[in-house]
Amino acid sequence: MIPGREYFWSIDHPELFYLFALAALVSFGRGVWLKIRPWLAAPRGLRPLEPARTAVILLRDGLLGARIFKTGPGSGLLHLLLLWGFLGLFLGTVLISADHYLFRFLFGPTYLLFSWSMEVLGLMLLAGVVWALARRYLAGEARLERDRAGLLVPAWLGLAGLSGFLVEGGRLAGLSPPGGGWSFAGGLVARLWASPEAAQGAYPFLWWGHALISLGLIAGLPFTRLFHALAAPVSLALQGQFLDRALDRALERAQGPAEGDEEERAGEAGGLDLLELVHLEACTRCGRCQEVCPAALAGEPLSPRTFLQALKAEREGLPEGGWCCTTCRACLQVCPVAAAPLGLVRTVRSRIVEEGASVPPRLMEGLERLYKYDNPWLAKKGGKTAWTRGLPFPVPDRPLEEEGEWLFFVGCTTGLETRAQGLARALALILHDRGVPFSTLGKREPCCGDVARQVGEVGLWEVQREQTLDLLEKGGLGNLVCSSPHCLDSFRKVYPGTLGGRDLKAVHYSQLLARLVDQGRLEFKEGLDLKLTFHDPCYLARHNRIVEEPRRVLRAIPGVELREMADSGLKTLCCGGGGGRMWHEPEGQASPGLAQRRLAQAAEAGAEAVVTACPLCLIMLEDARKTGGFEERLKVVDLAELAARALGLDIEEDKEGGG
Amino acid sequence: MKILVLVKNVPEAAEADLEVDSKSGTLETGDLVYSINEWDNYALEEAVRLKESRGGEVTVLTLGDEEAEDVLRRGLAMGADRAVHLLDEAFEGSDPRTVAKAVARAVQGQGFDLILAGVQSSDLAQAQTGVLLAQELDLPFATLAVGLEIREGRAEVTRELEANTLERVELPLPALVTIQSGINQPRYVSIMGIRKVRRMTVDLRDCRALGLTEEEVGPGCSFVQERRLLQPPAGQGATMLEGSLPEACRTLAGIIKDRGGL
Amino acid sequence: MSRKVLVVAEHRAGALAESTLEAAGAGLGLGGEVTAALLAADPAGLEGPLLGRVPRLEKIIHPGLAEYNPEAFLEPLSRLIQDLSPGLVLMAHTSQGMDLAPALAGRLGLPLATGCTRVEEKEGAFLVGRPVYGGKLTEELKLGPHPTVVLTLQTGAFAPPPEGPVETRVRETVPEALSPRHLRRFVERLAAARDEVDITAADILVSVGRGIGSAENIERAQALADRLGATLACSRPVADAGWLPKSRQVGTSGQSVRPKVYLALGISGAFQHLAGIGGAQTVIAVNKDPKAPIFQEADYGLVADLFQVLDQLAEAF
Repeated sequence: MIPGREYFWSIDHPELFYLFALAALVSFGRGVWLKIRPWLAAPRGLRPLEPARTAVILLRDGLLGARIFKTGPGSGLLHLLLLWGFLGLFLGTVLISADHYLFRFLFGPTYLLFSWSMEVLGLMLLAGVVWALARRYLAGEARLERDRAGLLVPAWLGLAGLSGFLVEGGRLAGLSPPGGGWSFAGGLVARLWASPEAAQGAYPFLWWGHALISLGLIAGLPFTRLFHALAAPVSLALQGQFLDRALDRALERAQGPAEGDEEERAGEAGGLDLLELVHLEACTRCGRCQEVCPAALAGEPLSPRTFLQALKAEREGLPEGGWCCTTCRACLQVCPVAAAPLGLVRTVRSRIVEEGASVPPRLMEGLERLYKYDNPWLAKKGGKTAWTRGLPFPVPDRPLEEEGEWLFFVGCTTGLETRAQGLARALALILHDRGVPFSTLGKREPCCGDVARQVGEVGLWEVQREQTLDLLEKGGLGNLVCSSPHCLDSFRKVYPGTLGGRDLKAVHYSQLLARLVDQGRLEFKEGLDLKLTFHDPCYLARHNRIVEEPRRVLRAIPGVELREMADSGLKTLCCGGGGGRMWHEPEGQASPGLAQRRLAQAAEAGAEAVVTACPLCLIMLEDARKTGGFEERLKVVDLAELAARALGLDIEEDKEGGG
Repeated sequence: MKILVLVKNVPEAAEADLEVDSKSGTLETGDLVYSINEWDNYALEEAVRLKESRGGEVTVLTLGDEEAEDVLRRGLAMGADRAVHLLDEAFEGSDPRTVAKAVARAVQGQGFDLILAGVQSSDLAQAQTGVLLAQELDLPFATLAVGLEIREGRAEVTRELEANTLERVELPLPALVTIQSGINQPRYVSIMGIRKVRRMTVDLRDCRALGLTEEEVGPGCSFVQERRLLQPPAGQGATMLEGSLPEACRTLAGIIKDRGGL
Repeated sequence: MSRKVLVVAEHRAGALAESTLEAAGAGLGLGGEVTAALLAADPAGLEGPLLGRVPRLEKIIHPGLAEYNPEAFLEPLSRLIQDLSPGLVLMAHTSQGMDLAPALAGRLGLPLATGCTRVEEKEGAFLVGRPVYGGKLTEELKLGPHPTVVLTLQTGAFAPPPEGPVETRVRETVPEALSPRHLRRFVERLAAARDEVDITAADILVSVGRGIGSAENIERAQALADRLGATLACSRPVADAGWLPKSRQVGTSGQSVRPKVYLALGISGAFQHLAGIGGAQTVIAVNKDPKAPIFQEADYGLVADLFQVLDQLAEAF
């Protein structure tokens, strides 16, 4: 007899199976519809997908789960076992149906190969389930939740797998089909029954049991955490979409009165758009985000996972810790399904800010100053040239004249905050000394609006952006060099790429200095005998992948020993100044705070000085140096200041004594 | 509940350099940024909260120049339902008595249950207009409210006295209450919030609409004959500590130790 | 000036307010014939400080005058003003004066200037000076001529009259009814929340103003205060913002303090605040604005960023 499958052996009323199957499909369909209906109603605003690239992403991040491997081989492998086991067995069922209803092909050697594959897949699934349960509930990895609800899906999968083997065992015991030896696992199970008759007697129960469990799995899938299996591929396919969704919508609204339909649609989805809703459903609660969130690590009441899940449950209000987020982007980088809690934080903040009632008071003051005085720091206009006082040359503030001239966009913090002004002075001195032509916008320099963007004051952001674009157009385009990675990020991500027919390009000053080093124009004659470490600003490293350039500059200084902290480069540990936090203290703000933890890392790395390249980092670390008792152990210095000193330039000793 | 809130557009002086034109004795306003008087902001927030918890309608009113409309728009964005602007060149230079008269004409007979005003404004700090209005409208009043509760036709006002002391008084409604700073935490008004109310109209009234002649308003009918601003008179003045910051601070520390008996 | 001056007395919990004596002093200083009006239910203990210092004392006694209530005060006061025809009505710019003066002026149609720090008579009119724009500027007004002018005076701006020997003629009236136009009712008086710290008992006060910027920075000031063995206090904006409890507020609506050393960090020096530190022996002010009004009244001043000063001082202690 040729090896093959006998269908519905010993099963009476097979038509009942079709009935159940139909019911399962209906339930599945309804469940999926309920989940995706708000997606369809939500505003979109998505950039078009490239089919080839999307296919690669789905293969790499979906089927192979490449992102899951980022945090270690264990979970990656585990997920593969589960995913492939499940998909494989499902595929097997499909093939069996095709064989039964369409044309027979599963016989002979094909069938034997098929049987063997099903064994392997079934074992994979079971192994995955056992490993998953052990890992979560016994070994107790910190980021994994040990709630009872989490048992549901693995247990169900496990039952489906086990019942499958039982059915097979029963069938093998009852029929002893040819080639049965290829179903090695089933063969072991077959020994449960003493005789073929006993097996045949048990068989219908086993079969219906397995059928119901499996159909139940399908019926219930959209209502369980397993729905991520459908949502995650969508989320992965949409990775790389614009994250400042509230800004996009603000620009649209600014263009004209909102369509009644648009507002309604926004209302139904609770103010979130399609991408954000997909993220809510794709989240698997794995907790990798909270493992890397600097606020969570410092003990603040923010967990990106909890934030996202709270939003999923209740679309109103700002979940706990919403103002603690520094927008460092660590969460997005580690998420296996490419969900972005960071994006959700910004969007929900914009809603809260629009309503007005739960905005932290100090932040309100900062925003009001920004609106009235064009900067969030001082209730005074035109103060952004104070840093030029005492420089041995006049800092130009005229429109750019030559090709290759740089427009130094000083920024609000660098221009106005006492400590940060050192950065501007040092950079100006270097550029002047090295003969690099540059100009500034002088007293008229507006705020690029980044702080408004981070905290969700989208209306104010839009006003600032317009003012800045206006002044840039008049004051000179060409190349912008920014002191702050925050300004840089704004110019690169939320400003247009061209203005008045010319390119709007922005670089960070560390990139400019690196370029000068490469060109041999920055030779540090004076060495510094210093062990130092570089604190990568989040907005430089994580948001814009600028990691090497500052280090190139540092390594070019003789006598400098560059050490790396435990979290450096793309994995940098946030200082806590971003996300608007420089201008307010979130509730539950930790002490010691984020910046102090960073200095502790610097001390551990054996550094004498921490070098940074961002005015906010500079202030946060400098403050932490005092409040954390690091005054004797560490100095905090800006990259430009260090470079200027190594060039032998006389930069005025700043009053804070940070040098 | 029908609530009226009086608001004023004032220059932000706290961190500004104030220059006085020595000839005219008036303030040079060129560089100054104007915004809602801080006390009035508290009053507005209080009014909107009362409306949110008890239902009703809030009207925000100002007497001022064209720029003062910003303050009304802000009030609307915060949750006020109507805005009234008493706008007329003739009003310029009016004293609190005249302002109160004009406002009384505007609101007489409109059935407001509660009128809220700030205790004073941050510019001239006269602290008169609210109470004068209460006299014009013949309403019971209370000033310096740091707490306000409305119960069955009564207002329970907690007034801030001296020396860290408070007093509670009760007024029948309708009444006028002036609001002290710190009574609540005013909400943020976002640009989007202001845009959302841009279609709401402001009710403009000039002298004629109020039944007032030009002679009845303006500086001419004030008891104040002359008014000028000056830099404050020099007192004995402090002995200023000189030198570099570390030096000055050392001196400072010495003074503290010496005078403080350390 | 040969006119009569009516000073409306203020009292609370059985004690006459010091500010009433200041107002009397101001009236006498102008050369006027001062009549103090004391409206009370029981004048015992209240009239004492006035006797021997003012030429006339009008006592109006009625149980409804036990606590300040403008509705109860206005009728008897109006009648008294009618009888006396004073050229000047003075009261202190306090929680009572701010409440009563505009009501009186409004009811009787009288000229009013509030919060005055200087008063002069000139050609039948009154020239007054008062702080405006948070004390950064002074306003000078010429009020009148008018038969009766009402002024409220900043507390601490005028000196009380010296004790005796003035013979005080006393007249007592007991009105039958008070005829208030409206039913404003005094319910109770209570202390604002207190914390365990009593700033009025401290020898050294480190006081922070709006310039401290945030609740977090308060800790830095507290750290300095601890090193000095001092107590932390504040000006009004800090208490309003909730960065420190109200009991730490120095000023007219807060508390008056009399430490040996008062270190004011980032406080501009509005009059209401200065009124609270009149009793301090040495006032040291630190502010980054060289034009801050507080430099007029302090003993020592330093124009600097208060945070830098906090750091430097911390090293010295």
